[in-house]
Amino acid sequence: MTATRPAIQDPPAVIRVNDVSKRFVIRKEKSLKERIVNFGRSNLHKEDFWALRDVNFEIPAGTTIGLLGANGSGKSTLLKALGGIIQPTSGYVERRGRLAALLELGAGFHPDLTGRENVFLNAAILGLSRQQTEQYFDSIVDFAEIPEFIDTQVKFYSSGMYVRLAFAIAVHVDPDILLVDEVLAVGDEPFQKKCMDKIAEFQRDGRTIVFVSHAAKQVERLCDRVVVLKHGEVVYDGATDDGIKALRASFGS
Amino acid sequence: MSLDAQQRADRLAALPWERSTTARKGVFAPFVASVRELVSHRQLLGLLVRRELKVRYKDSALGFLWSLVRPITLLVIYYVAIGQFLGAARGIPDFGLFVFAGLTIWGLYSDIITNSTTSIVNNAGLIKKVYLPREIFPLAATGSALINFSIQFGVLVVATLALQQFPVSWNLLYLPVAVLIVLVYGVAIGLLLSALNVYLRDIQYLVEVGLLVFFWASPIVYSWSFVVESARRSELPWLEFVYLLNPISNALLAFQKGIWKGGSEDRVMGVDASGADIVVAAQPWPADLDLRLLVVGVVGLVLLWIGQRVFARLQGNFAQEI
Repeated sequence: MTATRPAIQDPPAVIRVNDVSKRFVIRKEKSLKERIVNFGRSNLHKEDFWALRDVNFEIPAGTTIGLLGANGSGKSTLLKALGGIIQPTSGYVERRGRLAALLELGAGFHPDLTGRENVFLNAAILGLSRQQTEQYFDSIVDFAEIPEFIDTQVKFYSSGMYVRLAFAIAVHVDPDILLVDEVLAVGDEPFQKKCMDKIAEFQRDGRTIVFVSHAAKQVERLCDRVVVLKHGEVVYDGATDDGIKALRASFGS
Repeated sequence: MSLDAQQRADRLAALPWERSTTARKGVFAPFVASVRELVSHRQLLGLLVRRELKVRYKDSALGFLWSLVRPITLLVIYYVAIGQFLGAARGIPDFGLFVFAGLTIWGLYSDIITNSTTSIVNNAGLIKKVYLPREIFPLAATGSALINFSIQFGVLVVATLALQQFPVSWNLLYLPVAVLIVLVYGVAIGLLLSALNVYLRDIQYLVEVGLLVFFWASPIVYSWSFVVESARRSELPWLEFVYLLNPISNALLAFQKGIWKGGSEDRVMGVDASGADIVVAAQPWPADLDLRLLVVGVVGLVLLWIGQRVFARLQGNFAQEI
């Protein structure tokens, strides 16, 4: 698959992660009463947790990069920091180009609106203008394969129809950078194949894909570089096959 | 849609870097940057407003009419209980119009604040998953409140026309001023409370109680002349002053002065036992109302700026705190 990808003459970086650390403060109280009662002793009710520590790397345009690690190693936090959804405690992320995040398909769907209304709303959330959405509308519906249900409220959709429509919207927003969080295992086998074909097409177009997955096979097939995280720190950054070994090693201790 | 990979890379190389950090430095630059970001998302804002309105009355037969049922019910209650039973209508000409005018503009204010306060928490799903300028959610709540207000205002205008009480005078200019002030304060307080509500859910209950207090502390079901009268009778001249410290009271007075013809002229309201006319004098509008509105407006803009800055400071942790 790598062979079909075009070589880009000295590709520019599209994402730069500089010394990013993220601390979560775990509080055990939430209501006003509890806060007033515990005022002054509030430090006893806090706990620090570092989800990311001094993470540094750069992603050049056109690469497909996999973020790997055990559960709770900070992959999803890093992906959210890349997407600008959470702010790092220290350090910063720089990026350029249009970004689309497939963090959770259909996050912007409202169950009481019809498929058509949700397409327009979700496309606007991902950054398409109304005219662009109108232009891609038929293609989105075709890709999702649900033309007969497009004017039904999405609360009546099956879960497969739901994610198919959401995926179809996300791949039509023409992103330069695509963030993917374990969502490719959706739909039936033919649809999964379709998703993979779309990803391959994205790679041929020179789009950058950042990919979080536990499926080593998928990572091996798609990525040309992996970053392995353990307890919020980068323990490996490099070629895919060694990366998967590093991932297995990181489970050990 | 597809672009040659090399072309894409070259285009990306020419783009400037966007850095994602919370605190942009400066006094006005970050505020202006946020406004610009919102302007670039105006289509999405429109869609979110439509969503709010559509979803609110989904699957109901009367749909939009429900947004009028509440204010009209309130009107009837206040008209009967306060106007007739307690006798307020004897001192207030066109009592129905007066109350409805107050309820209309107050409804805008309280809708903006209640809807904004919960807007961030209610959109948790989106905020956790996608980056958007988060001010868009309180603003969408404001937009839907504004549309409800327009409908109610339309009913108010029709009512004044039907009762032949439509004021043709320069006082009409007070209307847009009052609406603007309410908008500025509503958005400023809404932004502030929506952000705080993420960290402290008690806010949304506090808001309900607070709005109830301010409803009765504003000239909605009783007129300004009642306040002046009781300040005079109880010999507490500072009462008037304190009463007018509330910016929304000023906006309410301006709104009433604009649309309520009966408040600006002497009216004969029946005859007393001896056969003489009972004359209700025009409202003693505060003499310096114009100046007050100007000051209130400027203070409101400062508050709006503060609200946005606090919001920007707090929003960095929204995704993990919700």
